[in-house]
Amino acid sequence: MENLLEIKNLTVEYHTQGEIVHAVNGLSLNLRQGESLGLVGETGAGKTTTALSILQLVADPPGKIMGGEIFFDGVDLLKTKKSLLRSVRGNKISMIFQDPMTSLNPVYSVGFQIAEVIQLHENCSKEEARRKAEEMLEMVGIPKERYEEYPHQFSGGMKQRVVIAMSVACSPQIILADEPTTALDVTIQAQVLELMNDLKEKLHTSLLLITHDLGVVAQVCDRVAIMYSGEIVEQGTIPEVFDHPAHPYTIGLFGSIPTLSMESTKLTPIEGQMPDPTELPAGCNFSPRCPYARAECHSKKPGVTRIPGEATHELRCFALGWEQPDETLMEVIKRGR
Amino acid sequence: MADNILEVKHLKKYFKTNRGTLHAVDDVNFSIRKGETLGLVGESGCGKSTIGRLILGLHSATSGEILFNGQDICKADAQQMHDLRRQMQIIFQDPFSSLNPRMSISEIIGEPLIIHKMVSSRAELDKRVLELMDVVGLSQRLENSYPHELDGGRRQRVGIARALSLTPQFIMCDEPVSSLDVSIQAQVLNLLKDLQAEFGLTYLFITHDLSVVKYFSDKIAVMYLGQLVETSASDELFRNTLHPYSQALLSAIPEPRAHHKMQRVKLTGELTSPINPEPGCRFAKRCLYAAPYCTGQDPTLQDFGDNHFCACFRAEELRKEAAGIEE
Repeated sequence: MENLLEIKNLTVEYHTQGEIVHAVNGLSLNLRQGESLGLVGETGAGKTTTALSILQLVADPPGKIMGGEIFFDGVDLLKTKKSLLRSVRGNKISMIFQDPMTSLNPVYSVGFQIAEVIQLHENCSKEEARRKAEEMLEMVGIPKERYEEYPHQFSGGMKQRVVIAMSVACSPQIILADEPTTALDVTIQAQVLELMNDLKEKLHTSLLLITHDLGVVAQVCDRVAIMYSGEIVEQGTIPEVFDHPAHPYTIGLFGSIPTLSMESTKLTPIEGQMPDPTELPAGCNFSPRCPYARAECHSKKPGVTRIPGEATHELRCFALGWEQPDETLMEVIKRGR
Repeated sequence: MADNILEVKHLKKYFKTNRGTLHAVDDVNFSIRKGETLGLVGESGCGKSTIGRLILGLHSATSGEILFNGQDICKADAQQMHDLRRQMQIIFQDPFSSLNPRMSISEIIGEPLIIHKMVSSRAELDKRVLELMDVVGLSQRLENSYPHELDGGRRQRVGIARALSLTPQFIMCDEPVSSLDVSIQAQVLNLLKDLQAEFGLTYLFITHDLSVVKYFSDKIAVMYLGQLVETSASDELFRNTLHPYSQALLSAIPEPRAHHKMQRVKLTGELTSPINPEPGCRFAKRCLYAAPYCTGQDPTLQDFGDNHFCACFRAEELRKEAAGIEE
């Protein structure tokens, strides 16, 4: 399959009073046609900054895209003209934000807000835009009679449906969804996830789903990339990563979440906190918290290696290359989940 | 029962609004035994936090009784309430808004000790504060830091140390981990569990996250629009879920496993309004199994054995049906 979106070596920094926050550090990522990729990480891992950089919505100042390339349809978005970028935003690549309460304008009716997107990007009359916006509302399960209603008349789940309708209105090739269900209750979350799954199949859209919830990723995505301190530490297909997590951080992440199928009574959390993004460690970013870290982990940055025997499973860790492997780690990886 | 630390009987809390009476808590009964954890689960707006606040006397109940060690909190005067609060403490959901930004960590943790005159000298106060910081795993160098200097996980530890400072018997945890990242969430959950074993604490654990509750609680109460719909021992509830709402809630949780797609019990619509509710099962409008007789009169909690209670007219019927399919 062809890559629709290719991010190469993206580096983003935030410059604040005398400090430099290293938000994204040399991140590379591919998104194929029709595929959905989950980008998972904790607060401050740089997930949102990555998505914002794709559309160049990072606030500048303090944010600065320091380097890298983002290819979409053969064009480097970072070097292209502003006018071209505007035709991409909301049209070919659209975004769903986390909080539906703040991403809708309270003084316009929801129908108008959807029609606005259509009118802006597609050469069509007002009536046509309205007809299409009504269609969009129906598609996400809102009766078109509610076209003239305002955001405050909708509940959280319904508002998120409106936002989704807005994002698919121009049949984009890529949807960037930044924690689309985090603000919703579980039963509503399940409804919204189902809707996104349906739309994805119907419209053949690629999806970059940003979340901290591994459960959501397992339900919606084909592939997953685990992010830590501005880097992708592990990526692969859902079965590859979920059955045999190999990076110590991913292993720790799975040990931290209580699940319904879990029988144990004690969680195994990762000790310590994420490193301060203004002072990243000299070696591997995870090394201060890593139970398997050796001398080289604290002094050198590991590169990306493909795990032998697996098709797409990649890892940013020294451990697999060690001449004398760490037996406990190897056992954990082999045993899987 | 003698070993019940907390008993809630026919508790009601109505709020007057412009559009009518909001039934936040409507005739709720439950009890917690000493040293146990009760998990109170429900979606936003179902009244779980209101129950917590009623127990701590932060709201006054419309009617009903809350017996804490046999003493009715609803009838306690200010002095009695002051004494009762020493025995029951709260850990709030949001560690960013529940700590005073102008007090240092040691002042925050030490304040309850001063209010309740538990220490006689400055030296004793300092010693006790350092002990508490040690218990919750905060390093001593943070003593003079301010909340904004700490991350979410450490702030929540400050909140826990403050709740522990008066050596209470009962702690109410109102979504204590929902604003934390998963790796930090696990640290805090483990800490709360260790503390319970060490000090024999009783918890009321309020949350919307069923997987956290399964890990944490001995007993679970599922709440829907101001009423309890199902209560049971934790394992029993997950093994043998009776109420259609509990089933829907369980099936809505995305499992972090490959090859395991959700088998969702379809739940259409959203929470109905708790203002002037019509008589009858409040879940009926969203329920897959609703029958005509579900509306009209309120279902009550029925005993299904093993201390498993469920408020559903059709629970017995549905259980037999499900068993029939399996056979």
